[in-house]
Amino acid sequence: MFGIKLLLLALLSMYSFAVCSADKLTLVTYSEVPFATQTGNVKQGLVIEFIEALFKQTDLQYEILFFPLKRGMAMAESSLNTCVLPIERNQQREVHYSWIGPVMVSRYGLFSASPSQPPLVALNDAKLSSIGSFLGSGIGEYLTQFGYRVDLTNNDTLNVKKLQRGRIDFWAADLVSAKAIMRDNDIHFGEPKIIFFTSIRAMACHIDLPMATQKKLNDALLKLYQSGYMAQLHQKYGLSL
Amino acid sequence: MKLSLLKKCNLRLTILWSLISLSAHAQINTDGLKINQYSGLKVTSVVENTDIPEWIIQELHPSTLSLSEQRQELQWFKSQAVPFTGLTIRVVSEHIDTHLYESEVLAKAFYDLTGIHVIHELTGEDDVIKKISAQIVTGLNLYDAYINDSDLIGSHFRSGAITTISELLTFKSGQYTLPTLDLNDFIGLQFTRDPFGIIYQLPDQQFVNLYWYRSDWFENPRFKAQFKQQYGYELAVPQNWQAYEDIARFFTDDIKTIDGIRVYGHMDYAATDPSLGWRISDAWLSMAGVGDKGLPNGLPVDEWGIRVENCHPVGASVSRGGALNSPAAIYALDKYVDWLKYAPAEARSLTFSEAGKWLATGKIAQQIFWYSAFVSDLTQPNLPIVDAQGMPKWKVAPSPVGQYWQKGMKSGYQDAGAWTFLKNTPKDRQIAAWLYAQFLVSKSVSLKKTLVGFTPIRLSDIESDVMSKKAPYLGGLVEFYRSNARNVWTPTGSNVPDYPNMAGFWWQYVSKIVDGTYTPKQGLDAFAKRVDDHLAQLEQTMVDTQCAPKMNPIKAESFWLSQPGSPKPLDQSVIKGQTLPYEEAIRVWN
Repeated sequence: MFGIKLLLLALLSMYSFAVCSADKLTLVTYSEVPFATQTGNVKQGLVIEFIEALFKQTDLQYEILFFPLKRGMAMAESSLNTCVLPIERNQQREVHYSWIGPVMVSRYGLFSASPSQPPLVALNDAKLSSIGSFLGSGIGEYLTQFGYRVDLTNNDTLNVKKLQRGRIDFWAADLVSAKAIMRDNDIHFGEPKIIFFTSIRAMACHIDLPMATQKKLNDALLKLYQSGYMAQLHQKYGLSL
Repeated sequence: MKLSLLKKCNLRLTILWSLISLSAHAQINTDGLKINQYSGLKVTSVVENTDIPEWIIQELHPSTLSLSEQRQELQWFKSQAVPFTGLTIRVVSEHIDTHLYESEVLAKAFYDLTGIHVIHELTGEDDVIKKISAQIVTGLNLYDAYINDSDLIGSHFRSGAITTISELLTFKSGQYTLPTLDLNDFIGLQFTRDPFGIIYQLPDQQFVNLYWYRSDWFENPRFKAQFKQQYGYELAVPQNWQAYEDIARFFTDDIKTIDGIRVYGHMDYAATDPSLGWRISDAWLSMAGVGDKGLPNGLPVDEWGIRVENCHPVGASVSRGGALNSPAAIYALDKYVDWLKYAPAEARSLTFSEAGKWLATGKIAQQIFWYSAFVSDLTQPNLPIVDAQGMPKWKVAPSPVGQYWQKGMKSGYQDAGAWTFLKNTPKDRQIAAWLYAQFLVSKSVSLKKTLVGFTPIRLSDIESDVMSKKAPYLGGLVEFYRSNARNVWTPTGSNVPDYPNMAGFWWQYVSKIVDGTYTPKQGLDAFAKRVDDHLAQLEQTMVDTQCAPKMNPIKAESFWLSQPGSPKPLDQSVIKGQTLPYEEAIRVWN
């Protein structure tokens, strides 16, 4: 009898876990100063503040995990109720996820280690150069697709060293993030030689995210834009166009 | 009703244009340039001492303008750009050869000419649409202008977010409108007007979906005899889907190999990708005959199967008077999926940009419709589909039509990528972008651009001697654009009130039909319901919007199927394959 009760209890526990985990969204983000950083248990940055504000408008539960971007994208593609953010929304990725966005708008530039190098007029002026980016980066994929020589690292910080040592000619990076990385590494490449791409970054969730949940989140996001919250948040982190 | 509106609009435009020409004339004189006079819209005088970088003149050859007219036109850009010199502006367009040339060469020419630095980004068309939507939603000045397909005209005129071309033409009395813009020379303006005649977008490039076939194989006496023996009629340009299917089967199953290479009688693409949706919404349904008669789009039911009443969309499902899940649409999807068996296995995993170039491999006998944006990819020397003299071994012709198609209906799709300006762009940046837009479509630039990307926008270019000489090398493209057919192959029209969101539904449902999750009927029933639900939502949110959806009540499908026109009842009649020699087939273009 006790055994049966124990079994029932176990089954009930498993059921509640399943229900809870079905209702709770796992949000995967990755270290990218100043948008998302984790020191010990402290998570901070634009993305963390955005998530808090977004979910406050809904009755949805969530947890935030930090993983490298590439892994986060794989998790959101394979696991129900899992999302990754912020990632560039583009045509190649469109069909693999359900999208909540735009979360943020990024501008990308090509940084050079040589201050005397004149600015580039068009992106194709860098056609013969080697350009550094990182794995999972949408801008790296973009440049590769257009036939540029792209050299990928595991994380963007490594590109600063590579550029400094002359192992790449340019570093393709998000402008705000690049400033923060340069500041943290006490390296200053100055202004980018060209600002060549604008990307819309969004939250990409598993393709089978219920339509009601997707609508709830997109409606909440629209309210954040309409209330002026998003503009303030972007301004706080230096995201201006 | 629509015709009279258009006539009124044309009259208004003529008057407007006369005013613009006069004011632009006055402005240039004020600036002290040596311009004698304009004869109508044509510049007849010569400007001396122009300071145009020589490489630009070299690059922009040939042009339908004389050298002095060209210098004068370029000088106008240089002069009008003075207030904006030093500004960096951003524009975005899809990634095709024409736009690549613009971003890599013409943007630099404009910079050297005017001092306005243009970052001309290239990306997928779906991204362009997402970015326009993002700028509207966030209010952020992401771009100063977009080159966006005119398929969005139904969204643009309802959105209230667009600075119309009509407004830009008259801004500051037309001070920034190129005197030689010559709107009447544009072949695609009817696609970028709303139902009331207002111009929302200015065409930058146009390409068309045409039937493509290997003329050398079709003229091969052995293949001709074998085909006639097996199918009972001539191997030639198919006029209906039965003939297309017979030819597909003939090359894939009967001929199988030519010179030891496996060949196929059909090519298409079917990867789960936004471009899968366009494949079907662009042309499959219109060729099948899903919509009503009417140009540029069927009225009251268009090729998306959406019915409008007095410009208000009222539903897409048959039960609301639409045709998206009608027998004609089911027939179209059924053939689309079934015929993939005649295509190479790779077709199922290809997208728009990948499939366009696939014909160059020399393994395909015909394709029901092919995007002419890829002409330059198929005319390169040393390809198996180009002969030793550089002449193509292929031709384009009108696509065969399906069982439900009737004369008076659109015959296929034409893409008109057009300049689009958003109201929430700072005015100085918008005007600088307006100058860049006009530069890219000016007569100084347009013929050269046409020769690079083969996406013509001006009648003067199409009718030029340069294009006459080029015509034999382009497989029939010039003949198409010189005929009235350019008005019968048309983009998505104004019935679609929310293209950015609704376009996404197509690939979601069609991909499930392709992978067998749904039958064509199940998939289209679900799809039509989704569109109806979305239209009903828009009816609630588009309060006070002109031409907002007003949903029809649900009625028995039999009611609508028994009314004249679309949605059309099931037609199970057996139609024999019919073909015509090339010369006769293209006569319908005249």
